Amino acid sequence: MSSRLRRGATRLRAVIGLAVAQLRRSPSRTVITVFAVSLAVLSVTLLASLGVGVVSTGEDGLENAGRDIWISSDPIDPAASGTENPIVGAHTVSAEMTARDDVSSAAPIAVHELYVGDGDGDLERTSAVGVHETHDGFGFEEGAGFKTEMNHSEEDYSIADRPDGPTEEEIVLEPGTADALGVSVGDTVTIGTSRETVEDNEFTVVGIASYYSQFLGTDVETVPLTDLQAIAGTAGTDRATFITASVEDDADTEAVAAELDEEYAAYDVRPSDEQVGAMVEERPLVLASGATLIGLAVVGGIVLTINLFALVAYQQRDELAALRAIGLSRWVLAGTIGAQGLVIGLLGGLVGLAATPLLAAGFNRLAGALVGFDSLLQTPVEVYLAGFALALVLGSVVALLTGWRAGRYARLDRLEA
Amino acid sequence: MSTHLPRQTTTPDGQPSTDADRRVAVRFSDVTHEYGSSGRGDDRTVTALRDVSFDVRAGEIVGLEGPSGSGKSTILHAVSGLLVPAEGSIELHGTDLTALSDAERTRLRRRHVGIVFQRFHLLPSLSARANVALPLVQAGVPRKTRRERAESLLEEVGLGDRITHLPGELSGGERQRVAIARALVTDPDVIVADEPTGELDTATGASVLELLTDIGRDRAMVVASHDDETLAVADRVVTLRDGRVVVNEG
Repeated sequence: MSSRLRRGATRLRAVIGLAVAQLRRSPSRTVITVFAVSLAVLSVTLLASLGVGVVSTGEDGLENAGRDIWISSDPIDPAASGTENPIVGAHTVSAEMTARDDVSSAAPIAVHELYVGDGDGDLERTSAVGVHETHDGFGFEEGAGFKTEMNHSEEDYSIADRPDGPTEEEIVLEPGTADALGVSVGDTVTIGTSRETVEDNEFTVVGIASYYSQFLGTDVETVPLTDLQAIAGTAGTDRATFITASVEDDADTEAVAAELDEEYAAYDVRPSDEQVGAMVEERPLVLASGATLIGLAVVGGIVLTINLFALVAYQQRDELAALRAIGLSRWVLAGTIGAQGLVIGLLGGLVGLAATPLLAAGFNRLAGALVGFDSLLQTPVEVYLAGFALALVLGSVVALLTGWRAGRYARLDRLEA
Repeated sequence: MSTHLPRQTTTPDGQPSTDADRRVAVRFSDVTHEYGSSGRGDDRTVTALRDVSFDVRAGEIVGLEGPSGSGKSTILHAVSGLLVPAEGSIELHGTDLTALSDAERTRLRRRHVGIVFQRFHLLPSLSARANVALPLVQAGVPRKTRRERAESLLEEVGLGDRITHLPGELSGGERQRVAIARALVTDPDVIVADEPTGELDTATGASVLELLTDIGRDRAMVVASHDDETLAVADRVVTLRDGRVVVNEG
């Protein structure tokens, strides 16, 4: 190694040593900045874990639903006014799909805003999913489900046979709604899609389950589809939010989905494993909130750390100028300040990464207790890599900017003439 | 106990020194300098030095006196190579500073000039030892050597028991001693001190002066001050008025 290189290496080691010495001598400043950086890193790792967990939980849920293909139409937004059921003639479309050799069954699902009353004037505003039948995966807390006798999607009955009013008059209530109204299996509730119509329809509670609430993130009651359409006044146009289809065992889901997509160009046809991603993407507000949270945490961490070290450089501007006069180069002086930023970035990154699994486990326990999901945050190795990459970028940005500021202060003309 | 580190035996440009070189460490020849030229006319400039000529020999302490703005600090900056005068030449051991590039002047200053400031200018979060060793970092001196040198100098200035103290834990006099040790750590030929006792009480100032004169015995030293007691330690005092030398006598 040439003596020039050796001197450079000694200088670099000394600069890092000086940076660490200065950090050690100012423990409160060090702790605050490490905390700021670790918060930024945590915001990225925890939100990424949440994203991974939500998509994977949703996919598991759809897999439990046992449907291979989901057909939807823009916009899918059950939360907005509760009347977005853009697929028209849903039973006819389902019947056409069922008639195909490679599709074993197809069925529409409608989503509506719903008012549920206990008959004594107490009302709950909630959402309803209309389906042909409930299934074993519902996880009933009490009672059981229902099965619509006249399944028009199965080609057993003609569209003309469809009744105008509700025929089944059975409902599966979300546990929260049942609690609020003080009803249980066997009781009668009244339902309607508005306050005015809520007294018109009497339904019997046949089961208590929160199955669909998992997917929609809100309290959801389950009602026979044709009954829901009848009380919502969409029986004539036969509106639905989704049509789900199962393919025959020997059929290729991707290929069937592609064919259906071509056949029904007006609709979006996706295999179930893509549906969750599509649903998440169609909620730009949620994504934007996540991005904003990450952005704020990262920018906050950078600004706090840079400001603190720029302040240190400013407070020491006369000393920096004096040391420059003595003969220390701007690079060495800026390096001692900048290296502090880099060390803080790395330390904060490591603290953030170390805290990620602990906090994720804590949040999972909380989510498990509150909404019943105990693996909502999932931390694959990519999440840690993203957090560490952020710490490196953050450390480098802080180092460059604080070093640059310190370099500006280390000027000879700061010395009084 | 050894009181001095091994001295330089070469000139700033690396040539073996001669007797003549040793005699004159710093030579100002007809130096004129102006500040504040804004390009909007000569009336905006302030003449800081006008035809200043004097020598400082090795082992000699030269005091600079004069009111504020008379040019004392400008002379100190010029000796250190921190500024290049508009006219005239400044020689440091026979090397004309005005003929050197910025980088060459910086290198020369690092090796051959030690600076003591009025306000000490120590980094507050570094120990006394780390502050003294700082100039050696730039030179790429290994850590062990840096520490040994800084510790021996701190002992030399009477702070052997304050090696790991922070500047905030030291008195004003002790801080100035640390700053003096820092100025000496590269074993310079010329010491430049700007109001070295300006921030100290009389008794502390006297002991710092004693230290300065002790270490300056075989180096050339230029001390700028308003203080008569400080100037009293000088072998010769150069009096300045409006950038001119009005008295130059021992």
